[in-house]
Order: sequence, then structure tokens, then C-alpha cells
Amino acid sequence: MRPVAALNDHEVFDRYPDELIDHDNIDHYRAMAERRLVIRHCQDCGYWIYPHRPICPECLSENLRFEEVSGRGTIFMETRLHQLRDPDASIVEPIVAAAVELEERTGLRYLSRIVNCRIEDIVLDMPVSLTWIEEDGCIWPAFEPAAG
Amino acid sequence: MARNPLKDQVAVVGVGSTAYGRDQQRSLLSLGVEAALKAMADAGIDRRGIDGICGSGMSPLAVGNAGFLSVQGALGIEKVTWGKNGWLGSAFVFAVEAVFSGLCDTCLVVQSYRREVNMSRSAARDPFRLRASRFGETGGMGGRDFARRWLHSGEPYAAWMKRYMHDYGVGKDAFGLMAVNNRSHGARNPDAVIQRAITLDDYHASRMVWEPMQMLDMDIPVDGAEAFVITTAERARDLRQKPVTVHAMSLGGTRVGEFYENTLPWTENAFWVAMEGLWARSDLTRTDVDLFYPYDGYTIDAVAVVEAAGFCKPGEAGDYFRDCWDRRENILRLNGGRTLVTTGGGGLAHGRSGGSNLYAEAVRQLRGSQGERQARHADSALITIGSMYHDPSAVLLRAGERR
Ligand SMILES: [Zn+2]
Repeated sequence: MRPVAALNDHEVFDRYPDELIDHDNIDHYRAMAERRLVIRHCQDCGYWIYPHRPICPECLSENLRFEEVSGRGTIFMETRLHQLRDPDASIVEPIVAAAVELEERTGLRYLSRIVNCRIEDIVLDMPVSLTWIEEDGCIWPAFEPAAG
Repeated sequence: MARNPLKDQVAVVGVGSTAYGRDQQRSLLSLGVEAALKAMADAGIDRRGIDGICGSGMSPLAVGNAGFLSVQGALGIEKVTWGKNGWLGSAFVFAVEAVFSGLCDTCLVVQSYRREVNMSRSAARDPFRLRASRFGETGGMGGRDFARRWLHSGEPYAAWMKRYMHDYGVGKDAFGLMAVNNRSHGARNPDAVIQRAITLDDYHASRMVWEPMQMLDMDIPVDGAEAFVITTAERARDLRQKPVTVHAMSLGGTRVGEFYENTLPWTENAFWVAMEGLWARSDLTRTDVDLFYPYDGYTIDAVAVVEAAGFCKPGEAGDYFRDCWDRRENILRLNGGRTLVTTGGGGLAHGRSGGSNLYAEAVRQLRGSQGERQARHADSALITIGSMYHDPSAVLLRAGERR
């Protein structure tokens, strides 16, 4: 595991000014700012823990480490948003919200956007891989069709 | 002297505490699970013995923090039949109520507190406490992180709809027929905000919102309210209305917690847990149900409840609805024709009141007071209200007797 000490806590809060950052997830955002997707991994039973929890929900161990995931996964479910709640928001084409099942564990899903892909080409269970986008000065993970 | 049937009936068997400190640099959830683990160890009960959770918070559905959803997820407790939040003195009393009533046998109470920014000047300078205070009990909803977009969102219901169609190789007829049924009943209900019946073609032609979910899959937002007075069955016999009694109840909770994209498989979602909890407490079975009110916030909810209640096999609601379809009235008739579904029109036609109008309609039908709309068979009603992701109810009501 690479060290996750590049930004101090105050810098992480500054990089992500609008998110609920707490002691259980700050390392996730700290790594995200460096374009690395990290998730807690139980050092005792090997369970990948997401959403972020203070202990391992599988074996109740506290011996956890944030580790980088491979970024490979498949689309478990997705919906295309033709309408947003804000009545003044305009959508040129539907926004895709996809739950990507990461290869590290069955049921480990990360909600994300799908980019670099025509909407009509998106199908359930299609392989995708991690990429990064920048929006309003923040760095966010996104997924794109896997190469090959 | 007041009634006290719970006298000496419920006991405290485990206690757990964390250290107290001005700055523990831990989340509320982290503190809560430490206390919970210690209390379970003190009681000699492991997490498989817990079937109810009272979490921390002033809001019934606090997401994040040490609310009951997050506590269940963090402790990996597979199934509970009761969940609620409480604070100050209320949490303890809620848990005793739940155990006494039989909604759960062993309840975990988790109460987590922090030095809030409005309690201390140094706390007001701590970025963790400041950020937490901004979000309150919303678990981080309303930020820009797309990964938290499905915290208490409707969009994952649309995504499940697509997954359901994909896994079972079916179209949208189950959803469409449920919508047609409710709108047909709504057309006979003078109180419904939408009184126009629809056809399956109307359903398929409606505007796309969250693909594949369409306008006619979604309940109608309205301003409105329902209220109920609940007392003992003993007292009810002397009051002016024919009583309607609660035969059995259950809430359903799964270890998934509040990030909906991490949902369990279809047949393990919270509706299945709630229905299992109900049947385990009920003398009646599915075939005894005269009236059925599956929650219709979205049609996918209602389809899930039908399947979770065991009316048909998973994925087969579409075929089942066709078999049960009354072509003359354009409504569903289950249990060999006797059982009507969502008389009154529910959220899709009468209007959205979070399912409370389903309880109200069921009570009036069981009283036999619905006039022209009165169902012929109305001795029992199954009402299942809520989300496949968190704490849905399953309630069996029966017509009672006046003295
Ligand atoms: Zn573990």
C-alpha cells in the first residue's frame, strides 16, 4: 500500500468543500484528490468494506487499512436520468448513474458516472475501468468501457 | 392507577461504554459500534442474537452517524424486525416498547454523542465537527460527490427495475398492470386526485423520467395528511366505531444500510425480511388475506411486496398479474378472485401520503364503511409500506367486534 499522507486534513477539507468528511472516510477523499480510489480492506479476514465503516462488518475486526482497488468492475445497475429535481436544470442528454460492482468482492458497488461511451452502448454487466474527471475544481472517479 | 401490562416484563441484560473525552477524533458511528460490541459482550449475546436496533438521532431515518441503518450495516447484523432512532431518554423507552410488544426479542440501543460546534468554542474550530454540523442527520446528502447520490434517493429504484427486467428476462407488464389496477380503483374513489383510469398503452406511453422508470410508475405528490387513534383492544370494544385490530406487525432491516447501490439480491431485500417477520408472528397466512395494500411509491415497490408476500415466485409477477386480471373492471383479483389490491387507488391515484392512506383505506374497508366501494370480503388486510432498502413495515389488520 502506498502512503496516504500527501495532503493534511485541512487540505482535504479544502479540496472537497461540500462533502461530509469524517474520521472514517477522510483517507478516501485524501487519496481521491490524488486520483487514487481507496477502500478499507480488513487485514484479518480480507473483506473489502464499503460503504466506509469504522470496523469490519464481516468479522468485527478493527485491523483495517485503506488500499487502492484495481478499478476494474462491471455495471450492476444503472438508470438514465431524463429529469432532475431542480426545475431549472437542463439535461442535454440523459445522465447515467451506474452502480459499478468492483472486482474485489461480489456486492461491492461504487456509484459513479460512465464516461467516454455512447449512452446506447451501455448494457448491464459490461466491463468498465476507472478513470478520473475534474469538475468545479474537484477530482472525482468515473468509469469508462474497459479496453479490449 | 394506570394500566401497566409491561410491568416486570422486560429486562436490561448488557451494558457497554466507550471512554469519554473532549476530542476522540472518531466518528459517531465508530463510538457507537464500540459501545454496542461491549454491551453485546457484556450480555454474552452475539450479533446473531440481535433482532432490533434503536439507533441515535432525532430523525426517524437518520442516515449516517449512529442511526439504526448505519449501526446495522457496521455491525454486519443480517436481519432485524424492528429499527428506530431515539435520543435522550426516548431511545431506551422505544426499545422496551418494541421488546414488550414482540416486534423484536433482543434490542440493541446505541446512543452516540459528540461535542457539537455550538457547545464549545474549540469545537467550532475543528474541521471535522464543523463539517458534521453542516450535514446534521442527513448522512452527507446534498454534497457534490456522485458516489453519495443514492443516499435516500429514488433513482436506485429505477436502476433495480432495470436489473429485475434483465435478470428475469421480462418486460414492464408487471409494473404497468399494477399502475392500471391502482388507477382503476382511483377512478371509483371520489377523494382521489386522479380519477381517470388508464390502459396499459397509456402506461407505456408515459414520459420517461429515470429510465426505465416512467411518470406512471411514480406516485402523485400532493398536500394531504392522515391520522389514527390507537388504543387497547379492550377499550376499543366500548367505543363508537367497529374496532380494527392489529394482528401482527414487523419491520424489515438488512445489513446493507444506507448506501442503496450496495443492495442485497432481489429476494433478500428488506421487504422479504419484513414479510418473513410478519408470517412468523401471524396466525393468518397469505391465502387468508382479503385486502392487500402493497406500497406504491414506485410500482417496483408494489411488485417487490407482491413477490415478497409469496403471491407468486420472484420475477413472475407479470405472468401472475395476467392470470389474476379482471378484464371487466381492469383490476387485480388475487386468491382466486376474493382479494382486491389497493382499493382507493393508493399513491398512484389517490395521492402520495407515504402509504398512510393505505392504512386509512384498509381500516375503513375492515369497518365495512366504504359504501359503494365496499369490498365484499373484508375481514383481514395486509399492508406493507416502505422501501426495499430500509425499515419497511408489514402489518396485518383484522376486523374486530364491538361489545
Ligand atoms: Zn474482517
